[in-house]
Amino acid sequence: MAISLKESLIVGFFDFWSRKIRSFVTITGIVLGTMSIIVVLSLVNGINKKTLEWMMERGGLTKITVYRDWNYNNKRKLSTYFSLKEIELIRSLIPEAKYMNPQIRHHVKFSYEDKEYRGPIFGVYPDFSDIEEWDAGKGRFISNFDIRQSNDIVVIGTKVKEELFGNKKALGQMITVHNRRLQVIGIMEHRYLYNSGNLGSKNALSYLNRRSFTPLSTMIHKGTGEDNIGSFAVKAQDVKSAPDLRRKLEAIILNLRAGEPVFRIESAQEEAEEMEENAAKFRIIFFLVSAISLLVGGIVIMNIMLASIQERTREIGIRIAVGARRRDIFLQFLVQTILVTTIGGVFGIILGLSILDIVSKYLDFELIAGGFMILVALMVSAGIGLIFGISPAIKASKLNPVEALRYE
Amino acid sequence: MEELIKIQNIKKEYKMGKITVPALNGIDLEINKSDFVAIMGPSGSGKSTLMHILGCLDTATFGEYFLNNEKVSGMKKSKLAAIRNKQIGFVFQTFNLLPHLSVQKNVELPLMYAGLSKRNRIKRAREVLAEVALSDRVKHKPSELSGGQRQRVAIARAIVNSPAILLADEPTGNLDSSSGRDILTIFSELHLKGHTIIIVTHDSAVAERANKIVHIVDGLIKNGDFS
Repeated sequence: MAISLKESLIVGFFDFWSRKIRSFVTITGIVLGTMSIIVVLSLVNGINKKTLEWMMERGGLTKITVYRDWNYNNKRKLSTYFSLKEIELIRSLIPEAKYMNPQIRHHVKFSYEDKEYRGPIFGVYPDFSDIEEWDAGKGRFISNFDIRQSNDIVVIGTKVKEELFGNKKALGQMITVHNRRLQVIGIMEHRYLYNSGNLGSKNALSYLNRRSFTPLSTMIHKGTGEDNIGSFAVKAQDVKSAPDLRRKLEAIILNLRAGEPVFRIESAQEEAEEMEENAAKFRIIFFLVSAISLLVGGIVIMNIMLASIQERTREIGIRIAVGARRRDIFLQFLVQTILVTTIGGVFGIILGLSILDIVSKYLDFELIAGGFMILVALMVSAGIGLIFGISPAIKASKLNPVEALRYE
Repeated sequence: MEELIKIQNIKKEYKMGKITVPALNGIDLEINKSDFVAIMGPSGSGKSTLMHILGCLDTATFGEYFLNNEKVSGMKKSKLAAIRNKQIGFVFQTFNLLPHLSVQKNVELPLMYAGLSKRNRIKRAREVLAEVALSDRVKHKPSELSGGQRQRVAIARAIVNSPAILLADEPTGNLDSSSGRDILTIFSELHLKGHTIIIVTHDSAVAERANKIVHIVDGLIKNGDFS
């Protein structure tokens, strides 16, 4: 003789339904708690995904970049630039690297006929295009031949083209860059990545379209005459070999600067890992914050269930009189609490997904609520019912039937 | 006659703080199958306590209780629950129906705890509701019924599992005289069908229908009167 779990569920659901208003008020805390879990965790995931997307747009996870470390206390006054010779030496020491691009950046004036434009120009190698996965959309990018010949050429960004030429043809034209005449041989592909939540440009990559590129050799030998390379980037064959390459590169550079870390090395893969670690921390923190609201919801439910048991004392007495065991009463109330919190969880998930849908549309930003997250939210809400339902259920099951039947 | 209930030297004490209050002071009683017993006595005499012990809702402090030759005193709570479910049916003065359940669902309750399938529960509940002439009220809530009808629902619930004993505590106490007579007629009919009925009552009209009257005074049986 026993009341099955299915029966307990039916009884629990019937109880929930027969006290609709109270039930819905009871689950409010759980609805809000579950909703916040879904929304907040989806936001963290969405931001994480967006950042990763941005990193992929900037050359992917195999990219390793070497910069001057501005924060390093360079007491020995070691050079914080690489010479072209040093760059060639480094390149020869890392044959396993797929690409390498040293670069010098200057901010200069561009002019064509009566139009002027101020912006950055980069002296680069042809590998730039492969490292950044960004090529000329029209014309061509810098070639090895251009480097060898130190050709007077320039490849301009779409913004530069727009500012100097408007709708006119740019390819083949001569422009003046920092008092030197350079021929436009290419226009870079337009870069675009939707930037949500920012009051500035809607394009997170608009700064790239303002850039222009010339052979590094042209810049050094015919331009400024300064052989000061402030940074370079290399690309590993694959993600797996990137950490080894990074370590090797670090050892070479330290060797070149007498063991002093004058340069900083950043690996996109490490950044991605760090970002994932941070996202995991955020997920835990936000989850705990949401869990607090669920906890409060749980305490409210426990309180209501205890009051409900007081109110239903006679009912419990009747059930015991007709043959309910203590276990049946315990199960009935526990299942009812779990049912209430789970229903709350379901409503919270629906509400959370609806909010995500609205926010996604409003910000044009993909917010991902995965199946696992929904499952976790559901399990947490059911778990809250289990934890906070035990005490009222024990109290109900321990009622003295004679006293319960006399209860007014 | 076949013996159904045998209690020997049953005592019941209640603790109220440091004070012990005796409710039953050594009751010996034998009830046979198909008896119609009326337990009478003044308020506070211990008759309800005796009914609760007979109905396995409460346990005696001392003494032995045999039901169908099985020793009930000292049994585990889960076994007592099984006895309440299968062998005992309760009818209370205040009906004790669950107000949010329909008549049908109220009657199904003991069957649910007996583990019957929904289909069998509905079938059996409809049968007993027909026996108490409430076939047309199955979907009604208790609040939509008269006092007499509510008590008939309570009787249907009490007999739905075909128990060995029907225990009633002042079953006509909350009814007008006409409804009360109807209820007593049902008890008489059930008695004729072979049910063992034990009624706790103040009402001599109820006692008149019994074939055995037990008078309790100060927790002791004053006399057992067989008619």
